[in-house]
Amino acid sequence: MNRTGIIVAAESYLLRKGVVSILNRMPGVSVVREFEALPALEKFIQTRKRDLLVITYTLFDQSFKQLFNEGDLQDRTIILTHKREWQGGSGIPTIDSDDGKGLIINKMQALLDAQVPGPDEDPLLTLSPREKTIVRLVSLGYTNKQIAGELFLSAHTVITHRKNIGHKLGIKSVSGLTVYAIVNNIITLEELSSNPV
Amino acid sequence: MISREMAMCRAVLENNRLLPLFARFNIRLGFGEKSVEEVCWINEVDPDFFMEIANAYLEEDDIPREDLAHFPLKSMVKYLRATHTYYLEVALPRVELLITQLLNQPELSQKEVNLLSGFFDDYKKEFMQHIFQEENEVLPYILELEKQSLPDQPDPEFISSLKVYSISKFEQEHDRLEYSLENLSRLIIKYLPPLENQELCLKVLAELSDLVKDLVDHANMEDRVLIPRVSELEQQVLSEKKGP
Ligand SMILES: [Fe+2]
Ligand SMILES: [Fe+2]
Repeated sequence: MNRTGIIVAAESYLLRKGVVSILNRMPGVSVVREFEALPALEKFIQTRKRDLLVITYTLFDQSFKQLFNEGDLQDRTIILTHKREWQGGSGIPTIDSDDGKGLIINKMQALLDAQVPGPDEDPLLTLSPREKTIVRLVSLGYTNKQIAGELFLSAHTVITHRKNIGHKLGIKSVSGLTVYAIVNNIITLEELSSNPV
Repeated sequence: MISREMAMCRAVLENNRLLPLFARFNIRLGFGEKSVEEVCWINEVDPDFFMEIANAYLEEDDIPREDLAHFPLKSMVKYLRATHTYYLEVALPRVELLITQLLNQPELSQKEVNLLSGFFDDYKKEFMQHIFQEENEVLPYILELEKQSLPDQPDPEFISSLKVYSISKFEQEHDRLEYSLENLSRLIIKYLPPLENQELCLKVLAELSDLVKDLVDHANMEDRVLIPRVSELEQQVLSEKKGP
């Protein structure tokens, strides 16, 4: 599973590319977004979940910090410091420009490992347990009405769920949901009926 | 990096990753000694816009980079349209051909064949529907909006239609086309039986991953450059026309 939510924010082009090239060498990491200034980053961060934000201490100012809660900062942020000048602390991990290669990689890997998603599960698109059940039934060929009966829901509720699912996954068709269900281990290929969907 | 003054032929020879862009911008080869800038003008492409996209490709930067925000919407719409054509006429048929070959592999059960073919048929329908809506509703609306935003062209009818339709409607329903393709790749890699024809599988996967990458750039351009620009322009048009 590729981690799609890794963000690198640094004013300096050299620094940014350096961090990105290290991240790209780490297993499973292939998608990195880069920002060089705050406004675009703030906008992005408010609408998307992320795995990790690597940001220079100069960009990481008070008003930017306000956008996050504490746990978020400690688990999913690394501050890039220079000559250990930054003392903003409060438990947020840091990497310094003087740190060696091994230390830098270990620190980033540790943070990434701490929030490893399940196999084949995309953290941006996680469904609720109820939604998963519905995807499962849809894949098995149930109609909305049959799903409503099975789960003791109103037809209207099922339709709302399906809309939300379609939105989260960008997938609306039954066949698309079926493939989604298989690759996310919600059903197995064996369970599928052999009739065309 | 390529620059304005550079000979276009050198730019291409040194960076063959640029090749797909020429179809996209509808730029013909046979450059002679002409510079990047000259070739662009001859082919009615904004040179700055071309260089922005080309350099983003070359540096593997995310498209869009922030600078993209300064170009006229018209250039962007033209590029998006050319990309749509590329998807429909080149990329999607190419994937489809490979999938058809995949369906003929003897190791696949009937169930797996049904799953794959049903999946691709539906995907293709959704894909075409997605592009159709953009081509016929969204992009024409954006061009009209940009026209109306020019000073001496107030059209009261358009202004009042702005109160009913706005780009935010599109924003809400704009789906990502790449997710399903990523699932398809995973299905092939992990869940289908191993196939004798390994070469075919690898070809399908390479084709899928190219298309996914392209779709991500494309959708990012729509979501992060186009939509914000358009909604800004809507506000501007509304407030100007209301004015004194
Ligand atoms: Fe599009
Ligand atoms: Fe689109």
